[in-house]
Amino acid sequence: MSQKPKIKELLDESACAHNKTRKVACNAPTPGATTGGCAFEGAQISLFPYADAAHLVHGPITCLGSSWETRATRTSWPGRDLTQVGFTTDIGINDVVFSGEQKLAAAIDYIMDKYAPQAVFVYATCVTALIGDDFDQICRQATEKHGVPMVPVHAPGFVGSKNLGSRLGGEAVLRRLIGTCEPDFTTPFDINLIGEYNVTGDMWQYLPLLEELGIRVLSTLSGDGRVADIRCAHRAKLNVLVCAKSLVSLTRKMEKQYGIPSISLSFYGKRDTSKGLLAIAEALGNAELIERTKRLIAREETNLEQRLIPYRKVFAGKKAVLNTGGNKSWSVASALQDLGIEVVATAVGKSTEADREKAREYLGEQGVLMLKPGQEQAGIIDQRGAHLLLAGGRSLYTAIKKGIAFADVNQEKKKSYGGYAGLLNLANDLKNALENPVFKLVARRAPWEK
Amino acid sequence: MGEVIHKTVKPLQVNPIKLSQPMGATLAFLGVDGCMPLMHGGQGCTSFTKVYYTRHFCEPIAIQTSAVTDAIAVLDGGDYSIVESVKNICKKVTPSLIGLHTTGLPETKGDDIRGVAAKVDYPLVWVNTPDYEGGLESGWGLACKALIEQLVKKSETTDAAKVVILPHVSMQPIEVEKLKELVSAFGFAVCALPDLSTSLDGHLGEKQSALSSGGIAIEEIRRLADARLVLSIGDSMLKSAVALQEKNSAMHHHHLPHLQGLEATDHLIAILLAESGFKQPGPGIIRWRKRLQDALLDCHFSLGQTKFLVAAEPDQLAGICQALYEAGGKVEAAVSTVDSPQLEKVRAERVLVGDLEDAEALAEHYDLIVGNCHCEALAHRLHKGLVVRGFPNWEQVGNGLKNDVLYEGGAYFLFECANAATAMREHCAGG
Repeated sequence: MSQKPKIKELLDESACAHNKTRKVACNAPTPGATTGGCAFEGAQISLFPYADAAHLVHGPITCLGSSWETRATRTSWPGRDLTQVGFTTDIGINDVVFSGEQKLAAAIDYIMDKYAPQAVFVYATCVTALIGDDFDQICRQATEKHGVPMVPVHAPGFVGSKNLGSRLGGEAVLRRLIGTCEPDFTTPFDINLIGEYNVTGDMWQYLPLLEELGIRVLSTLSGDGRVADIRCAHRAKLNVLVCAKSLVSLTRKMEKQYGIPSISLSFYGKRDTSKGLLAIAEALGNAELIERTKRLIAREETNLEQRLIPYRKVFAGKKAVLNTGGNKSWSVASALQDLGIEVVATAVGKSTEADREKAREYLGEQGVLMLKPGQEQAGIIDQRGAHLLLAGGRSLYTAIKKGIAFADVNQEKKKSYGGYAGLLNLANDLKNALENPVFKLVARRAPWEK
Repeated sequence: MGEVIHKTVKPLQVNPIKLSQPMGATLAFLGVDGCMPLMHGGQGCTSFTKVYYTRHFCEPIAIQTSAVTDAIAVLDGGDYSIVESVKNICKKVTPSLIGLHTTGLPETKGDDIRGVAAKVDYPLVWVNTPDYEGGLESGWGLACKALIEQLVKKSETTDAAKVVILPHVSMQPIEVEKLKELVSAFGFAVCALPDLSTSLDGHLGEKQSALSSGGIAIEEIRRLADARLVLSIGDSMLKSAVALQEKNSAMHHHHLPHLQGLEATDHLIAILLAESGFKQPGPGIIRWRKRLQDALLDCHFSLGQTKFLVAAEPDQLAGICQALYEAGGKVEAAVSTVDSPQLEKVRAERVLVGDLEDAEALAEHYDLIVGNCHCEALAHRLHKGLVVRGFPNWEQVGNGLKNDVLYEGGAYFLFECANAATAMREHCAGG
């Protein structure tokens, strides 16, 4: 029987809140009117952070040539950081005509010989999927030959969106890695972090707190992750899904197969970080741990409040419009509120039902949930007298036209805003934005304009 | 000139610098005013390309995808995807042109995009650019050739004062502008195809456009064949020059492999003097030549003791290596993304088609790297100096305004390299 995951099953995710309301696949793209990445990119996002594994992209040069070294996922792996090494078979016309299988097998041998990774993830792409290269067979043979796991990742771009690709990445790990090793020992407080990719070191903002509480991160998918650890993930007591809707399929299946319960949370902002830590402790169900966690939260919050004092004055009375997508529509809003900034509107056009509910909860009845932020945000800035626009680069013009400060929400890809400490980074960047004269200055009329 | 290796023997690329044909075609279409590049393939190719160029230029990038899915790949011969795409694009915007270019996916299943294009009732130029062949330069070149073949009207008369420039893909927007200015200074009216100098030069517009916000106008492209003179820059543009001459056999063609350094610029000036009948260029040009002469001397001490790795697209590779050579820089290794006739002309000890793993293997031979931002990790790991050039440069801002060509850019380029070499030596000596 084919080892390929059934895409239909993955699209029909019973754990998704909106599953009952929408019949068709969420992401059937419209030709000529589609933005956003493909399934391959989704798989890359969810699996590339394993820095001890090689990530071999079997396809033409576009797939990897344009995308390697794009995500600042940090690792503490002492060996060569293979996340940031680009491997691709770069297939040519001969491979398209006569099959790329030989080249793929040779590429795996080359990688094993030169880089000796803990595993090789082998990614299918549109062209190599279309010509029917047998990934499963080649990976099976290579596993036997080299004695380390070779994981075929069946997420060629054309099967769907980034979100689906992340699910397919999770599926590959579930089928090929999880449950294939046993940990040296277990503790009652072993957890897996799922969907935390440690972009800019986000995870490290709260990891020391978990350690202090005696909570052990047994494995991650996949921030600062290790192949050897994820193979033992089935022995964890709890799956913690961090800000990632896409991997809910994985945690549901792990619950079914291994009886591991899961919780979903965010480490963005003060309240959510505190809530998250407490939720983990409560889910682990140890009264003493819960007490410890409460004490730690109180200490960290006091500490943070002290350090935020200089910013309070700057943010007092400030209003912001937030234009981003997915879970960030509420998680960033929450962080802004923690800083004392009023969030008057947030974009929910690309958010799930659950995200929209949360956004409403955080913004209250007065807040505007924008379905078409591109058209709505300018008007809302005027009506509500907003001082700050947080959005992607495309909205910069709106801020300049309105003469208000602008902050790029994608800065988080360069700098960590996660956990308690990350909130200080966010505070500093927003203070800088509010104080920067540039947004008014660039809109100055030229001397020759009336 | 040293040994040239035209073909890699490895079964894979490790840390590739090679970029794909469709990405080159996209960029070419962005040099046409009001154009919407339409990439025919899976949605990811377009998404990656958009993010890639947005980060390089710090500008919004206009592009759409035909969003071919697995089911459509099996059922459709391109008709549905392309016709629907054009319809949906035109619901939101009114492009002056749609630049249809393919990726490996539709080429593998054999879509007849020429046939589909004939059915589309909208201004459209099509080009086959599978990403399992060629690279960035050839994609840009093929798109440029397609623009010429499908848009330019034949002409039998020539306008003696009109010049067409065909710049290669690695020429940044400001470099195209400087070249246009130079040619204009000899009394010519100048068009560049493609022309990034007014689209991706990083200018604050009135509002954010969903289409390319500048570049050569469609009407100008249609009328290119009455130019008396065509200048192709870079070997990747030779086929485009031939295509243009087919529209008017009376057209004069001059080819310049690149425009970096004193010799190459002198050669261009000599052509322009001969073609214009000018006795000498304007005072600004004369002044800049003197400055470049001085820069060569000022930089020779630092560059003369520096060994280089240069990694780039072939046309840029030839230019950079020549510029460094003129001031005594020793290019020990020149790594090219793809094969090209340029490689035989590159002034370097060894020239090879390869990747940054190959470059790393030659580490003992060089101290300073000139290459894209993927070289940063390499430079860091090997303790080498770095001057960032080529696609992509995600680590620095101002890429569209970096000028390395002609007398003026040549001087700036030498200074930057010489200073980087000196800083590197001080850094190494100090710690």
